[in-house]
Amino acid sequence: MSLLGADLRREMEIHRYPLLAYALVPLASLVLQAWLPRLTSPYDWFDFPLVVTVYFALGRRNPIQGTLMGAAMGLFEDALTHNAIGINGIAKTIVGFLAGSVGVRVEVDNQVIRLLLNFVLSLLSSAIYLFVSRFMLGLALEWSWLTELLRALGNSIIALVLFPLLDRLQIKE
Amino acid sequence: MESFFTRYRNLVVLLVILVAQIAGLAVQVRRASNGRNALDVDDQSGVRLIRLWANAIIGPPEHLIHASKLGVVGLWSDYIDLHNVREQNQDLKQTIGRLRLEQAALLEDARQGQRLQALLGFEQKYIYATVAAQVYGSSGSDRSHVFYIDKGAHEGLKPDMAVITADGIVGKVRDVFPHTAQVLAVNDPSSGAGVILETTRIRGILKGNADGQLEVVGILADQRIQPGEKVLTAGGDLVFPRGLPVGVVQKVVRDPDRDAFIDVILTPAAHLNRLDEVLVITSTEPRFPPQQQKDLAASDTLESSVSPAIRDQMKASEIMSEKLPGLIDPNLPSDQQPLRDSSNPNPAVPPPQPLHPDQFSPGAAAPAGSEPGADTAPKPHPKTPYTLPAAPSAAPGSASTAKPAANSAPQETPRRNP
Repeated sequence: MSLLGADLRREMEIHRYPLLAYALVPLASLVLQAWLPRLTSPYDWFDFPLVVTVYFALGRRNPIQGTLMGAAMGLFEDALTHNAIGINGIAKTIVGFLAGSVGVRVEVDNQVIRLLLNFVLSLLSSAIYLFVSRFMLGLALEWSWLTELLRALGNSIIALVLFPLLDRLQIKE
Repeated sequence: MESFFTRYRNLVVLLVILVAQIAGLAVQVRRASNGRNALDVDDQSGVRLIRLWANAIIGPPEHLIHASKLGVVGLWSDYIDLHNVREQNQDLKQTIGRLRLEQAALLEDARQGQRLQALLGFEQKYIYATVAAQVYGSSGSDRSHVFYIDKGAHEGLKPDMAVITADGIVGKVRDVFPHTAQVLAVNDPSSGAGVILETTRIRGILKGNADGQLEVVGILADQRIQPGEKVLTAGGDLVFPRGLPVGVVQKVVRDPDRDAFIDVILTPAAHLNRLDEVLVITSTEPRFPPQQQKDLAASDTLESSVSPAIRDQMKASEIMSEKLPGLIDPNLPSDQQPLRDSSNPNPAVPPPQPLHPDQFSPGAAAPAGSEPGADTAPKPHPKTPYTLPAAPSAAPGSASTAKPAANSAPQETPRRNP
């Protein structure tokens, strides 16, 4: 992982996208996340909104934008479940913030780094979800780390395909 | 101060958003009666509004994708994949003819069963009003086994209505929106339904586990429970009617939390992961098809025209039974009893006396307390004289249908002299 100095960081290219992409890509990810499990269940080890959050947060290299996008995606996901609204929101808020913060420090155009980050942030999101549900709220929650590991793997595979496709949406200067 | 916010604005924004969400979570969780925290069963208005917005934004594209998928599948199956359709059509026609005959026979059985159960006073629920709905989306999370259907409050759906398929139960309506509804599947850990094992008649609570499997909990270890046994709804949860298929026993495992208990893992009867169409039970009140309604109306009319006559007869018989003298009057000495009244032109014949008196003959029972077991012998009610039933001759023409007075004790029918 190549660490960069502060001056070089400022010079790094910030990925820019059409305004429509900011609206439609997250929406498409939420719709797919809600619709695809009907076809893939019980092997629905993926989290499209998380992958999209990580992608935009890394690409924009802006922790605030990553935080806001993560919060919005997480809250939407929560609203579609019957669980409390905010658990996924908190998890993805932190993930978006960290992805945006890491994006400032590392070379995010490297595909391997992106995949590794996706894997680690997926596991972190699961851990935060578990922490908030079980320890902060005291809810009875059955948990399987194997499922979360498979989900992190699934997200990495999705990122492998999705990130190059989304890169094509970038505005080239 | 300004420099602080400028310097740490990323962290400040993060903290503000986190604190807002934590505060939002705090109002959604309540301490349950068992001491554990749980989510509010009924969403508060703000939470419900967020769910409504999310559903309104995500729902239409999901509908579109679902409709596109149905269109492609329909195109394939209706116009391209028509292999052996003619043979299938003929087979189906034959099946329809056979099923019509069976339906006619079963309809009669069902009506008879309903009449008998009504007589027995059972509170049996029948499924008569259902709304068919398409499943178009899910929660998108394996931690929340809910799905969305394209029918809502405008179609008469309400929370806690049962959702089924032809194969078995599926879940219950949780949140109802104007044109859509959220259904909590039976394999969600937070769901619950009363079930009974068909053969062993053991009852338990159905819920989902972390892997999305159905399991019956709250059962004491029992060797009789074997894989393959069917599980049905017990009907005590006020959501699912009794007797609907739930699944088949797959295996029995020990309850990890309680030693003496077991968990029964089920294979669901309905394909919970592949739901396309479901039925929502909107009413369990009996509702018959038009022809049956006509028949019932005709029988009701007939009954209402007959019942006044029957009521008159019963009333007359009651009056007559009150006016007629009792065969035994406790206020009169034995030689002046009506049975021995020589002035009666049609004296009633007293019950025949047994040739050899035994303990079963009236009046032959030993007094209570005279010997062990004596008080178990049947005794006539001291305040109920032996009275005649309604005299047939007193109500000519109605004697054959007259019933005994309601307040008269069961008794033998006395014979009259020719």
